[in-house]
Amino acid sequence: MTSWGPLVTLGGAAPRPRWSLRLTAAATGAVLVLGVLAVKLAQLQVTDGSRLAAMAESNTVHHMVLEADRGIIYDRHGAPLVENSPIWTLVVVPAGLPAAASDRAQELVTLSRLTGTAEPKLAAALLTANPYSPVNVMNGLTQTQELAINERLPDLPGASLVQHSVRTYREPLVFGHVLGYVGPIDPSDATRLRDAGYQPNEMIGKVGVEAGLETLLRGRNGWEDVQVDARGQVVRVIASQPSVPGDAVYLSIDASLQRATAGSLAAGLARDGKIAGASIVVDPTTGEVLALVSLPGYDTNLFTHGISQADYNRLLNDPDRPLLNRAIAGQYAPGSTFKMVTATAGLQEGKITAQTLLNCPPYINVGGWIYHNWASYSLGWMNVAKALATSCDTFFYQVAAMVGDVTLARYARAYGFGTAKEIEMPGVMAGLVPDRIWKQVQCGVPDLNSDACRWSEGDTITFGIGQSYLLTTPLNQAMYAAALANGGRVLRPTLVHVVLDASGRTVLAQKTEVTSTVPASAGTIQAVREGMREEINPPYNMNYWFRRSGVPADGGGKTGTAQYGGSGLDLPTHAWFIFFAPYAQPELALSVFVERGELSEVEAAPIGVDIMKFYRGNVSMIRSGGQ
Amino acid sequence: MIGRLDRAQVLLAAALAGLGVMTVYSAHADWPRQILWVVLGAAAYVAATVYDYRRLASIAPALYAAMLLMLVAVHLIGHSALGARRWLSVAGFPLEPSEISKLILVLVLAAYLARCERVSWRVFAGGLALLAPPAYLVVAQPDLGTTMVIAAVTLGMLYLGGARPAQLLAVVAVCAVALPLLPRLLHGYQRRRLEIFLDPNQDPLGAGYNLLQARIAVGSGGLFGRGWLHGLQGQLGFVPERATDFVFATFAEEFGLLGSLVLLTAFGVLLIRVLRAASVAPDRFGELLAGGAFVMVFVQVVQNVGMNIGLLPIAGIPLPLISYGGSATITTLAALGLIQSVIVRRRPVEHPEGERRGLGTISRRAQA
Repeated sequence: MTSWGPLVTLGGAAPRPRWSLRLTAAATGAVLVLGVLAVKLAQLQVTDGSRLAAMAESNTVHHMVLEADRGIIYDRHGAPLVENSPIWTLVVVPAGLPAAASDRAQELVTLSRLTGTAEPKLAAALLTANPYSPVNVMNGLTQTQELAINERLPDLPGASLVQHSVRTYREPLVFGHVLGYVGPIDPSDATRLRDAGYQPNEMIGKVGVEAGLETLLRGRNGWEDVQVDARGQVVRVIASQPSVPGDAVYLSIDASLQRATAGSLAAGLARDGKIAGASIVVDPTTGEVLALVSLPGYDTNLFTHGISQADYNRLLNDPDRPLLNRAIAGQYAPGSTFKMVTATAGLQEGKITAQTLLNCPPYINVGGWIYHNWASYSLGWMNVAKALATSCDTFFYQVAAMVGDVTLARYARAYGFGTAKEIEMPGVMAGLVPDRIWKQVQCGVPDLNSDACRWSEGDTITFGIGQSYLLTTPLNQAMYAAALANGGRVLRPTLVHVVLDASGRTVLAQKTEVTSTVPASAGTIQAVREGMREEINPPYNMNYWFRRSGVPADGGGKTGTAQYGGSGLDLPTHAWFIFFAPYAQPELALSVFVERGELSEVEAAPIGVDIMKFYRGNVSMIRSGGQ
Repeated sequence: MIGRLDRAQVLLAAALAGLGVMTVYSAHADWPRQILWVVLGAAAYVAATVYDYRRLASIAPALYAAMLLMLVAVHLIGHSALGARRWLSVAGFPLEPSEISKLILVLVLAAYLARCERVSWRVFAGGLALLAPPAYLVVAQPDLGTTMVIAAVTLGMLYLGGARPAQLLAVVAVCAVALPLLPRLLHGYQRRRLEIFLDPNQDPLGAGYNLLQARIAVGSGGLFGRGWLHGLQGQLGFVPERATDFVFATFAEEFGLLGSLVLLTAFGVLLIRVLRAASVAPDRFGELLAGGAFVMVFVQVVQNVGMNIGLLPIAGIPLPLISYGGSATITTLAALGLIQSVIVRRRPVEHPEGERRGLGTISRRAQA
């Protein structure tokens, strides 16, 4: 310190800086450069400030959709037919993985073992993704898998389990074609339904009631604005709106009757070596569908739990077409079950009366063509009731010829043929009521006088026995049976008994709607019903099934064995049976369809009688208050 | 001695170190440890102030040798972080020789240049030759940022030491020729950083992410900032290296443009005070020492803030006194202490010619 002795002697007077040119230049340069930084800062923080602040918000504030619980579907008595079961997805936020390479490699090995995904594939998926967004590592974890992974989570930084709910259907083979299933929304639907707030990949009803009542079942999604850190962890909830669960739907279906119907149909098909069929049971006073079965069924849970391509292809290419809901979308000729329409037209148009006797020969000759009865012998003279009971084809050929195709088509439409019913599921088919104009429009041949385009007398008379180009569906047949039961009112079929929202208020209640009334007098309908009553009573063979089952033959029925696949003899056939009971005050109407059934009295009718037997045995339970 | 201290510099250094601890705390780094570094740095500051800096000139060769030894040791027994070998473990504490080498190089160059009145071509080349070994060892760690700092320190000191424009232009010319070769010399990540700097939007979620997030943080601070401990980007971890390389982004988000300007002004005043020390230094060694410290702090402030706001490419340079880190904090405070040592030993009052004649004070020669 000796060296600053002379300085101290100066008495500590303030030194005056001696700024050299270079020091001045350095100071000026420093101030200028810091000034440039300040200008850039001002630009970032003031000019771009609000834009960058918004980017910071979108970085750190995430809008999360809270998916609403989908409404539960019950039978009419409140038995749940589907549940929302929890399912977990394992997600990993790449930024949350350990920073040290060895720890990260160790975690990838663990994740690979837990998920069964090859490690390089896992690493690639995680490293190519946005490091701050969760990557789905494994979907559809069951509760057991979830528990196993949950235990390991503390050792797996960045990994977390996200819970979703998934539709699980009870007895999908019994209720599947009624309920349908949900699946991820198609991209095209997502665009169309964007205004309704659907998220990409959100589950939406695809078929069945799930689709038909989508708007009620879906509920309303809620949302949550949360602040997340760079690892994707939620730090706090800023604002939220809870979701509103979907409505509870009580179907008109009676679960026990549905099971019995499915059981009777399956047993009947198996008895005769058949595979496919359908049966619908309705209340002819209200239009409520009590049972709706289409066989074969399929496991709808496959779709909600993520169906594999192999399973999907198998279902799609199955020659038995399990995905086809035959009850509403299968279109077949009604055959002899149509004869009540021909009878109604003949009676109402005054071509015949209830007492008019017509011959029932083994065949008739029309325009040089021979048209056969089912019997190769004459059944003699008969009135319309006996003609229905014996299902005499030649009788109805004559009536159809008298009525004419146009009038016959009008009555068919009045009974609901050729109309797609407005039931609460998509994919309902109309069937077809042909007439001469239809034939000319559809033939596609330039020569309108060719056989393909010109309506022939033969077309008219086969129309009269439910053949020619006539097509119907098992659902239309059930409503046709219901109309015959209730005196000519064609009701809108409904699957809904009541719909309640989350707070228990009624959103929708079953309402009986008459879609058309058959333009026929009470006497006409009475005469037709009489024929149906006779058919199931002695001396006719059909009565055997009732006797055997111990079911009183109190009602009306009609079988039909409908040819398909062209014209001529020995064509393959479908078997039908339609039925209502009791005769005086019908409570129930049903249709039974057996695909490729050969003899309707043997193959289709016993199934209907079986269903009726269950109904009678359980009527008090089925008809009890319900929801 | 206390009376001769540059009190403004003491206050500025203390204020900056205090802001540093606050920001490090907000960035969820190990703030008690940063306080420890500041305390150790303050001790070094006091020790350096008391110590007669002139004695350092004679031990400069030994310091230079020790620096090279440490830098070699890093390569042999160093610890690595983020792909570079930079740390030595000394009694359980991490020591970053490249940080210390900044100050040692300033001392060595000051001692070297102080011996010659004029910077001849030979002296100029000698200065560059002193830079070459540490620069090679640091760039090989690899630590391009620190290499650039010590290169800038060397050139700045040569300039302040009186290098001729032709000499500096020669360096610029050599750099201009070498620039096309740069991409080959850079490591993959360094080249990537340069590319990302040139176009940060080309890969917003990958390599450009750090830059973008830092910019978002700075910008979202706005005029007044989100408030201490209330930053979004910094608090929630979106700003990478939020307590070290990108500490300025954390600071700017919470304190806004006003806070940032206060910080820059504080650095600006501090730098001017350091230059002022050079102007009052009693000898050429002290003048060069202060000049070197000025360049050292200035380059780091500019590089760090510049990369945080997207003006300069990313290089791992701490913001002096603000960034978390022991070696850098202690080195910076020790350097500022040495400046005080220069100031308290400043030459006496220099009066205007007229006054001087009238008062008949000692001639300048007497000081030497």
